[in-house]
Amino acid sequence: MILFRSLRVRMIVFLVALLGLVQASEFILTNHASYNAARGKLEDDLGVGEKVFARVLRQNAESQEQAAAVLASDFAFREAVATGDVGTLASALENHGARIKAKALLYVNLNGDVVADTLRPGEPSRHFEFEGLIEQARSQGDASTIGMLEDRAFQMIAVPVRAPITIGWIVACFPIDGELAGDLRGLTGLEVSFALEHAGHWSLLASTLPPAQSGALRAGIPAYPAAMQTRLLSMPGGDQQARFVALGDVGAEHIVAVLQRPIADAMARFRSLRATLIVLGVISLALSIAGSIMIGLGITRPIELLLAAVRRIRQGDYSEPIRIQRDDEIGVLAQGLDHMRAGIAEREQRILKLAYVDSLTQLPNRSQFNEALEQGIAAARARGGALAILVMDLDRFKYVNDSLGHGVGDHLLRQVGQRLASLIGPEGRVARLGGDEFAMLTFAADPAEVIELAQKIAASLERPIYYQEQLLDVGTSIGIALYPLHATDSETLVRNADIAMYVAKRNKSGYTIYDPNYDTSQKEHLSLLGELRRAVEHGELRLYYQPKVTLNSAAVVAAEALIRWIHPVRGLVPPALFVPFAEHTGYIKVLTRWVLQEAVRQCGVWRRDGVELQISVNISARDLMNRDLPDAIQALLLEHDVPPRLLCLEITESGFMEDPMHAQEVLERLAKIGLQLSIDDYGTGYSSLSYIMQLPVNELKIDRSFVSHMGEKGDLATIVRSTIELGHSLGLKVVAEGVEDGQCFALLRELGCDSAQGYFISPPLPAEAFREWLAGSLPGSAPVKRAQQSASLSELARRQSATG
Amino acid sequence: MPAHRSLGALLAAAALGLGGQSSAAELQLQVANPGGSPIADAVVYLTPQTAPSHPSPPKAIIDQVNRQFVPRVSVIQVGTPVSFPNSDNIRHSVYSFSPAKTFTLKLYAGTPTNPVVFDNAGVVVLGCNIHDRMVAWVLVLDTPYYARTDQSGMAQLDNVPPGEYLLRAWHEPLSSEQPGEMIHVDAGAAAVRKLVLDASGPDMAEMQQ
Repeated sequence: MILFRSLRVRMIVFLVALLGLVQASEFILTNHASYNAARGKLEDDLGVGEKVFARVLRQNAESQEQAAAVLASDFAFREAVATGDVGTLASALENHGARIKAKALLYVNLNGDVVADTLRPGEPSRHFEFEGLIEQARSQGDASTIGMLEDRAFQMIAVPVRAPITIGWIVACFPIDGELAGDLRGLTGLEVSFALEHAGHWSLLASTLPPAQSGALRAGIPAYPAAMQTRLLSMPGGDQQARFVALGDVGAEHIVAVLQRPIADAMARFRSLRATLIVLGVISLALSIAGSIMIGLGITRPIELLLAAVRRIRQGDYSEPIRIQRDDEIGVLAQGLDHMRAGIAEREQRILKLAYVDSLTQLPNRSQFNEALEQGIAAARARGGALAILVMDLDRFKYVNDSLGHGVGDHLLRQVGQRLASLIGPEGRVARLGGDEFAMLTFAADPAEVIELAQKIAASLERPIYYQEQLLDVGTSIGIALYPLHATDSETLVRNADIAMYVAKRNKSGYTIYDPNYDTSQKEHLSLLGELRRAVEHGELRLYYQPKVTLNSAAVVAAEALIRWIHPVRGLVPPALFVPFAEHTGYIKVLTRWVLQEAVRQCGVWRRDGVELQISVNISARDLMNRDLPDAIQALLLEHDVPPRLLCLEITESGFMEDPMHAQEVLERLAKIGLQLSIDDYGTGYSSLSYIMQLPVNELKIDRSFVSHMGEKGDLATIVRSTIELGHSLGLKVVAEGVEDGQCFALLRELGCDSAQGYFISPPLPAEAFREWLAGSLPGSAPVKRAQQSASLSELARRQSATG
Repeated sequence: MPAHRSLGALLAAAALGLGGQSSAAELQLQVANPGGSPIADAVVYLTPQTAPSHPSPPKAIIDQVNRQFVPRVSVIQVGTPVSFPNSDNIRHSVYSFSPAKTFTLKLYAGTPTNPVVFDNAGVVVLGCNIHDRMVAWVLVLDTPYYARTDQSGMAQLDNVPPGEYLLRAWHEPLSSEQPGEMIHVDAGAAAVRKLVLDASGPDMAEMQQ
């Protein structure tokens, strides 16, 4: 708003300033020109005035002279003069002087004496003071001059009186006074003043100026010679243009006429022009202000509308079209802006969909789920309620995807999505977070309700899913986190649910409600990774060896290498605390490499010592993804001069069930080298025997959960027996782990199990202790033989209690 | 032309008054202005201090021709009747305000019946009332002893009886007689006498126009 106002103001200010400048310069130029023209005109006027003035003075003089000449030639007058009749002469002068309007008439005789004087009648004869006039008249016939008589200036004209030769002169005196000045002003239109300069001082003899101005004039006239060149006089009421005209000198005195006129007079005719200019200027200024305001409004009002529209768009309101119907650029701009608005609205819809909806299942995606969760938490917080989230993924999805193709995988995900959506109420949310991971939001306040929901989900997914009549078998693990119990922010809530899900997966419990303890282990994990790295680098890791004993001959022919971490502060860290973590983070590769290296090295050492033992090493599922594994192992064996048959790799069922195709390929390559392969923890997974049959394995290890308690539970013994029979029917050796007592040991021998491993025989031992155990059990003989010799159960049991 | 006439008058005067006297004196006179230049046509005259006999002087004529008085300067003796014939075909009005003889002749044509008798010595300036430019001088003398200077300012007076005289000179446009000097005239020829006459004045210039 301010911007537009200022835009408008700027426009107005600019236009008005421009116009004002133009008009001001025009005005100044005109004024200047007027002034110069006025001065020029005045100069001309004064020039003319001066000529008129001179002409008038001359004509005055001529007419006075003629009048005087007429008197001088009057016969009677001449007779009176010639006959010396002074009385008659004086009265004739008087009479005639009145007639010719001379102020004074004098008669001067040839001797230069005044015989008669109308100015001072009756005075005795005296010498005429203006000898120059008489001298001039004597030589030229007649003459005129300016002179002072009784402090008054006169123009004096002398004409001769002839009878018939000159016998004297009539001197006619015409005053240079206010009347003359007035007459001259009437003729010239100029102010006329007569001034007398005497000894550097000016006095005014007469002036047409008003008294105040004449005083100023007298004071303002420069010194004598310079005055004659003066053209400009400073007067009260304004400067005046002036001309100085010399009238005559009387001795050292100078009589001048001052012709002048106020410049303002000459400017007068320009004044109306100036007034017109001012009026025109004001009008055009007003018009331009009004015009620029109108243009400004015309531009800024639609711009304000546009700005309002832009503000709406910025705030995300695209609904209202921009309606500014104009044919000018602003109209085009408005149209463009409206197109932009419509485009943005459309794209936003599309982006929203892309951003918030999973295209495969049409379920909300992770972003939308997070937002819904945030809103849900806010709402729950507001009303003091609770909510729960369930995070789940599908077991064996990767297997489906890889083995049956992505189309099948997608179908599976869609089906799962539909089932989940049908289970969750209208208030809840189902979202696909990515991959095979789903999340649900429910406002169920009671944890029991949430567990019920989780069970329903698990049950729902147990129902078979078909793809083109092919059964797709998927299970699920669900992690549950409750608000506000487990976390009060969405991020932590989701993370906690994730943790619970991993726990559920690990425990194969179907669902798990988050427990803060999981979180601490989770937190430990982070620092664990750094410490684990350090452990590898600083040699804090050890391999412990647990012997495998053949049941029929009681010979020690093999041992399982088990990793141990001797932490400098915490002491012995159990593998359960860092191995799953290493598997989770991928650090397991480093660990496996280290274990393999150490195991092969130790194997080589013992072999050179004359003790030939097969060492088993646990390989994780991730290791099976490593295509370089076979080559690396081969290089190790060569380095330590260990034959491949002395290395056995134990792989859990889940290890190759994650990516069976790839696992099989790697396993085949390992078998080709000549390594022994063993299926670890057999019985805990879902692997079908038909699948196992395809694998190049040599050995089956029955999980300790079956073995350790089979003495007490008959059904477990049955499972173990059938497993042993099954293994043997497939041509595999069968090893039982977790043998913890002699009863179990004996039972296994009865059942025909090939080998046994467990605390009953020996706990895992460091390499040195293991070597001592071997030597102690059978000093001075080959290991196998010694084992055979000391294969009494009582002995074994005693030994266990001693080391345990 | 004026020179002939004045010469004639001179001769006439000499023949009438002084012709036979053997004891007469002879005067050589020279007139010059204050600057030393000789003045021609100046009238020099001797006025005897003892009352002389006055023979009746002859008549004189001052004609008016082409708006000029002819002669312009006349020298006559007291008592001389002067007639003023008008030879122009326009009328003139002759006047004089000179104290020696003041008169006016009203406008006339032809010759007035009565001549004007100049009965006082002095200078009479004549004018025409309607023609300002016309001017004439009449030197009325109380003596028969006068002469005019030639181009070199020289004049000669013969047959002057010895005795006391007032010697004066005059020249137009002087409007009055000038102061002179008393001289004693002895018989016989004498040395040249010099006279200084200031005849310049305002009228000179005017007259020369």
